[in-house]
Amino acid sequence: MIKDKVKTGVTGLDDMLEGGLIPGRAYVVSGTSGTGKTALAMQFLLEGARCGERVVYVSIDEPPNEVKQNTRAFGWDIGRIQVFDATPDVMNYDKTPVRDVSTERKVVYFSDIGPGIRQTSEKNPVDMTISTLQEILKQEMRARKYSRIVVDSLTSLRYFYIKTSEENATLMSFFRLLSDLGVTALLTVQLPEISKPDVEVHVARGEIRLHKWFDGRGLMRGITVEKYRGSSHDNRLRMMKMSSTGLDVKTQAPEKREQAAEEEGPPIEDTDLPEPPAPSDVAPAPPAVPIPVEPDNQSPPAGLPPKPVEHHKDGGGI
Amino acid sequence: MRPSTDERVSTGVPGIDDMLKGGLISGRPYVISGTTGSGKTILAIQFLHQGVKQGERALLVAIDEPPQEIRENVRALGWDVGKIRILDVHPATKAYSKRVSLVEVAAQRSVGSLRDAGPSAKTEAMKAASPDVSVQSLQLMLKQELQEIKYSRVVIDSLTSLKKLSESMGDTNSSIMSLLRYLSESGVTSLIITDLPDPAELEPEMFICRGEIRLHKRMVANRIDRFVTIEKFRGSPHDPMPRPMSISDTGISVDSKKKIPKASLKMLQAFT
Repeated sequence: MIKDKVKTGVTGLDDMLEGGLIPGRAYVVSGTSGTGKTALAMQFLLEGARCGERVVYVSIDEPPNEVKQNTRAFGWDIGRIQVFDATPDVMNYDKTPVRDVSTERKVVYFSDIGPGIRQTSEKNPVDMTISTLQEILKQEMRARKYSRIVVDSLTSLRYFYIKTSEENATLMSFFRLLSDLGVTALLTVQLPEISKPDVEVHVARGEIRLHKWFDGRGLMRGITVEKYRGSSHDNRLRMMKMSSTGLDVKTQAPEKREQAAEEEGPPIEDTDLPEPPAPSDVAPAPPAVPIPVEPDNQSPPAGLPPKPVEHHKDGGGI
Repeated sequence: MRPSTDERVSTGVPGIDDMLKGGLISGRPYVISGTTGSGKTILAIQFLHQGVKQGERALLVAIDEPPQEIRENVRALGWDVGKIRILDVHPATKAYSKRVSLVEVAAQRSVGSLRDAGPSAKTEAMKAASPDVSVQSLQLMLKQELQEIKYSRVVIDSLTSLKKLSESMGDTNSSIMSLLRYLSESGVTSLIITDLPDPAELEPEMFICRGEIRLHKRMVANRIDRFVTIEKFRGSPHDPMPRPMSISDTGISVDSKKKIPKASLKMLQAFT
């Protein structure tokens, strides 16, 4: 039993993880688009910031100004989260010498991020690579001793910064670096609609997967812990909501899906990141079409792949 | 309520704007996906037309079809699309002629005739015709064009074709990221048209884009049943339900208050 687990900032998820994440390890948050990966990652960092820890968000898919704008509606104070803008520049396609990005970009607080997108320097676009990113992380860690880091997303890191031929080795070394740094890391992974296990999931010490699916009532959301080395964890799919303050996980296990739907109440308004309090002029989607459900169906509906892939009930991965 | 700093951009289809709770967020790239004949190009032109009606500059990057065909196709809609600029990147025109305007609109033509042929068959032929169109060269062309004219809306029709054309050109995922980044940095709200994504593959544009509007089409008995879903929309609440859509001689309309037929809903459940 490991004490002093790191709280994720989502109460129901901490229950599923038997207290939280094991410090100093790297975990994957996976899901298709719009399942709430970035929201979960932000809540993880906010929790750290609330406890006075140093936390850093490494932005690769989305420019920080948009991330900031998108989270506003949750009413979160993300100003104390530090952010490193690792989004690639517009490519110049000239053969001008590229400069080392580490001299050009700095970690700043979200409170310093303005409304506009960072403009690529006309003359000197910088070339970000996985090795410069690793170098920056090392320097930053030495200088500031972060306890939590989010990389959003690992998928973009793979697609834009890693050569296909070296993909697996590079990813392994990236995970190795994170564990050497002793930081608790959440790395987001975007899944296609039909997914097969990929290398980052094998290397990570755990995987939290977010699900969404459609049933006759509207959009449903769920969360599973697919893998968690060194700790017991909840093996079931739990229902989740995007509320006006963030992710909300229900740890009451619904015995039947119908019952779950009742507990969920009317279908909620969907949103990718922020969801402001539901505007009153939007009628909730009508209860609609009855969907046949097997009486004891505890597994998620068709289209969902949330069968836990691996269970380490008793510290199997140590 | 959201602070007013979020500038929303109308898609030109009021029902879709309702589904998006006001429209697209300005300055970001969005994907329109759908099968052949689902109405992607019409929606895109409606989006551009909305822009020029408001006095904005709008640009259509035509890759799938030569501009003359597009012009003929939209004639039927009776829109004054003369102010929409076209960047003709159709590979058949070796010498790319800049800024052909969609002039004169008249006559009658059935919307049903729009894009019956599949893009993949077309692009194979196009690839043979000319190899020198790529994501990279498009970015450079757009840069020239945007230096002269300040566009606020750009449509790329379609990225699927562009990618097929540039398969051998050393374009990478990074080129697509770079193109979309370029549009964002230029303050352009863009619509990127793609085929329906392969559910087992993850294309970079799908996770880079800030939202995806998907158009669905389904044969029911002897008529076509159309509907639209918002698959993703970062930074805003949106309608999670599919809504019925129709294409008439005034363009696309979506009824954001109505439910789609049961049978169509079942089909959707099978896929998502």
